[in-house]
Amino acid sequence: MKMLSAEIATSRFAYGANQKDLSNISHDPLQWLAEQLTPLTMPHSWHTLDAIQAEANYRMAKKQDSKVMAEPVMMNMMDEGQAKNMRLPSQKARRQAFKLAKESQISVIKAAAEKNNGFQYRLLDFFSNHFSVSQTNPKMRLLAPTLEAEAIAPNLSAKFSDMLMAVIKHPAMIYYLNNEQSVGDRSAIAKKRKNKGLNENLAREILELHTLGVNSTYSQTDVKELARAISGWSVNFNRNNKDYGFEYRKWAHEPGNRIILGNRYPAGEIEQGERILFDLANHSDTAVHVCFKLARHFIADNPDLHLVTQMATTWMKTQGELRSVILTMLNHPSAWDVKAVKYKTPRHFVISSLRASRAHWLAWAAPGVLEQMGQAPFNAGSPAGYADIADSWNGGKALVSRVEWSGFIAAKVKQEPMPLAENALGTRLSKTTRQAIQRAESRQQAMSLLLMSPEFQFV
Amino acid sequence: MLKRDFLKGLASGLLFLSTPAAHAATRALPASHNKNVVWIMLRGAMDSLHVVVPKFDKHLQNHRAALIKPIIDTLNPLDRGFGLHPSLETLYGWYQEKSLLPVVAVASPSRSRSHFFSQDLLESGNDQVDYQSGWLARALAQKQMQGLAFAHALPISMRGNQTVKAWYPSSLPSVDEDIYSQLMHLYDQHPQLQAQLQRGLEINQTMGEKNNLKRAPFNQLCRICGETLATTDTQAAMLEFGGWDTHNNQIPRLNRQLQQLDKGLQQLKVSLATQWQNTLVIIATEFGRTVKVNGTQGTDHGTASALFLAGGAVKGGSVMGEWPGLADHQLYKQRDLMPTSDIRSWIGAALQQHWSLNDAQMANVFPAVSVQKRSLIG
Repeated sequence: MKMLSAEIATSRFAYGANQKDLSNISHDPLQWLAEQLTPLTMPHSWHTLDAIQAEANYRMAKKQDSKVMAEPVMMNMMDEGQAKNMRLPSQKARRQAFKLAKESQISVIKAAAEKNNGFQYRLLDFFSNHFSVSQTNPKMRLLAPTLEAEAIAPNLSAKFSDMLMAVIKHPAMIYYLNNEQSVGDRSAIAKKRKNKGLNENLAREILELHTLGVNSTYSQTDVKELARAISGWSVNFNRNNKDYGFEYRKWAHEPGNRIILGNRYPAGEIEQGERILFDLANHSDTAVHVCFKLARHFIADNPDLHLVTQMATTWMKTQGELRSVILTMLNHPSAWDVKAVKYKTPRHFVISSLRASRAHWLAWAAPGVLEQMGQAPFNAGSPAGYADIADSWNGGKALVSRVEWSGFIAAKVKQEPMPLAENALGTRLSKTTRQAIQRAESRQQAMSLLLMSPEFQFV
Repeated sequence: MLKRDFLKGLASGLLFLSTPAAHAATRALPASHNKNVVWIMLRGAMDSLHVVVPKFDKHLQNHRAALIKPIIDTLNPLDRGFGLHPSLETLYGWYQEKSLLPVVAVASPSRSRSHFFSQDLLESGNDQVDYQSGWLARALAQKQMQGLAFAHALPISMRGNQTVKAWYPSSLPSVDEDIYSQLMHLYDQHPQLQAQLQRGLEINQTMGEKNNLKRAPFNQLCRICGETLATTDTQAAMLEFGGWDTHNNQIPRLNRQLQQLDKGLQQLKVSLATQWQNTLVIIATEFGRTVKVNGTQGTDHGTASALFLAGGAVKGGSVMGEWPGLADHQLYKQRDLMPTSDIRSWIGAALQQHWSLNDAQMANVFPAVSVQKRSLIG
């Protein structure tokens, strides 16, 4: 067994170390990680209802605005161009809501950089990207951050089927992948309204991205059958209704038996789709797909396949209990390999740089810089999420951007670089980097060199 | 050696003084090197039946009346009874000038209907995905030409060639240049990071003030792309444009998408200036969409789509590609437009004719494909 080091535990599985982290956990780094396999308490309270209310307020204010704008005195102002620079109440309401949604994203980055449960935040990131939703329109801008908060954070150590069920029933996912209007072709509503029917977007991505994976052997018929099984899974966007959020619409559900991957699911209501999702979550292809992605995220772009097999075996034994699966990963020798081969993604780099320099108060700048680096929160632009391998992030210009971000932090941080370096990297701090920091001509330059050192870029 | 020269240049500031214009003035290159290629990847699967519309096909209305009726009278007429979506105004102008060549019913070898697999396969250009080697990078390598991808890291179609770089604008505050020479030194033991930083600094220098843009929407990237091709040694560029996955509300969404595409292409032509005459633009998407409208006024993932070849170098003004028909029995798996030719056979033919690549060179670019014999360039 390799020596389990606090340096590896913090850098590879969390957002790095600062202050006394390394000495605090060095007696049992594995235990420190294992203790974090619990539900995560989010650092913000931006929820589905807030998003729904903000959208409703906007629509109401907009109606009001158009009445006001139609009044003669306003029409005159419009003619004179005065109204152009005026901010209407509806626009103000919308901006305020966007601001709150964005602050929730900043609070996650800040907490990840500041708190001592970095492994939980890394797992949140991983699954949030596995179930990627993007802020492709105003409603999604408000809804996207609620998915990880409500469906992922509470299920970090649960069974994968629990997480999957929570995600697929979440308003953000249903709306993002257009299932809210998908109705069975033989459902009650489709008989009355001829232009209504199925939309297979969510069903396809469940099979291809969330569960079995593209290399599995499902067919177009399976996609269609799953779309039929989850037809009627929709969202109630009415804030005055206590049943806001996920809504099962019996009248939109396709009646009849379904056959998926050769298994027959008898006719039924919502439980028909639930049974299918449960079986998909416990399929061996799903186990391999998700375990491979976990190992790739934390350990190496091309992870040891023995590790993946062990994790998938645990998955099948425990009905996809994530806590056990992740412990299997942590107990495998390759998790503690001293060779650091994983190139940090921009998000990992930005958050870990804030942590190492104890500059979590600069988290406000992170969404902007991540946008420039191509990894803005909730903006992958595709349900596949952001790529998780070095080839997707190692452009030359991208490295220059990292240097510039390091310079931005360095200009704001007043602490001595060498103690920060030692606290962050411990025994991973190389002689070369130590020398470079010592010889730097300014504190600022020393900070940049620390954050740009090879041992800070690779974990 | 390369590194020492670089540091010397860095120290004297010479590297940061040389301008793109200086490059252009000093270049004396073989003829093929003055011929540019712009490769635009439409990510998300563009619905070709909504863009190059087969008005003449009597089955069209049966499959998608809700999508077709609102646009059918506004289409711009093309060859063979096809109609071009009205949002593509600039492109229609090009068609009339004979510098736009739509090719219908094309597909890559992918039949999976997965965006991500199909994009990777189209970019790689082989029968199996090779994540480390893309067709445009291979084509550039045949003539030792340089390429540029407007992206954060090299997309697959630009991988496998050391002279291809990735660039995008960012407005982070720039840092004291001295830090770069210190980092080059710090990376002595880490050649990978050292090479990466060197490429970054080189491309930053090539792009000059364009580095200071805060962000660049597609039309701005098109402008920057045109300027870069017109003024530097870069022969080929790749742009990406997403947002085509229209599972719902397709009509308004495609109106917007196509307007943006059209605006970007207009900018590209303007900024290429006279170099437009020597440019081949290739616009493609990973697959087409279902022939039938779905239950939410959109379309789901399909198979064959359309390809656009454009630019002053192209022999345009007609629609190519065999039309498979839209009767139920003519569809692929009773649902998608049937592919009648391999998209790579057209891209390959255009590249071969544009850059005068011989058959041996073409075999390195698209090993598994025999290219079309028709004349597409000139």
